[in-house]
Amino acid sequence: MGLLFCFLGALSFGLLGSALKAAERRNANASGLVVSSYAWPALAMLVRTLLLKSGVHMPGKVFLIAVIFGTCAAVASWAFQVSIRMGKVTVGWLMMNLSAGVPVVVSIWMYRERLTSLKVVAFVLALVSVFFLFWGQVIEKRAIKEFPAKGS
Amino acid sequence: MWFLLMLVILLTNGMSAFGLKMIAGWALPETVKYPYLTVWYAGGLAGVALPMMLRGLKVGKTEILWGGLAGALSIGGQVAMAVALSSGIPGHVVFPIAIGGSIFVVALAGRLVFRERMNTPTALGVALGFAAVILLGAS
Repeated sequence: MGLLFCFLGALSFGLLGSALKAAERRNANASGLVVSSYAWPALAMLVRTLLLKSGVHMPGKVFLIAVIFGTCAAVASWAFQVSIRMGKVTVGWLMMNLSAGVPVVVSIWMYRERLTSLKVVAFVLALVSVFFLFWGQVIEKRAIKEFPAKGS
Repeated sequence: MWFLLMLVILLTNGMSAFGLKMIAGWALPETVKYPYLTVWYAGGLAGVALPMMLRGLKVGKTEILWGGLAGALSIGGQVAMAVALSSGIPGHVVFPIAIGGSIFVVALAGRLVFRERMNTPTALGVALGFAAVILLGAS
């Protein structure tokens, strides 16, 4: 049963990426889409917070990092939405997920977490992947300049 | 522009979830994550809404509908992962399946629905990136 929910999670997140591309094809404004997609969860979380039996207590430093990292997330969502206008949705989505490597690096530096061989292999693969993705984009741009009809 | 956007995605999206880890390190009550997430979403909303308002852009019906769908799918994915984790499936199984699977679904939709074609370096990059994401999730 748990495995089924793993696959449901994959399907849900996959459909999320596809829905954002479909919205782009319908000329949805990137900023408006991010505002709308953040408004609903913000409202849901506010309701959940107000229902807390322990009351709402939030230290200033927690508030500060919430604003900083929330803004980071929204900027990333906006950048993704703009990027799929000029690039492929698969590449943008992959980049969103590859970004999971950044906090791992920061954790290793900040919290002295162990750098396992699995992580090293993952980082090397990610770096080579980013190189190939950028190379692919360069080739595509060149092809579009030479044969504009190819750009799709 | 595209390269810059990819770098912005890598850095900002990567760091966006780091706050929960910082909170865990401060040994605060478990319930603090709810007000944290409220401010997190509201902060993100304001961060994009303010420049948008200054430019005179408005949120239309298309954005409300598709944004609502995106929000629902995002919450659906989070809930499904939470249920999988609480049913005893370890994180190193849940995360690679959920993240890797989502990339597979998007790649499939990109090819079949949106008719996006990839050149050889891009296809190689996607394959290697897919493997990297699976390993990162498993680690």
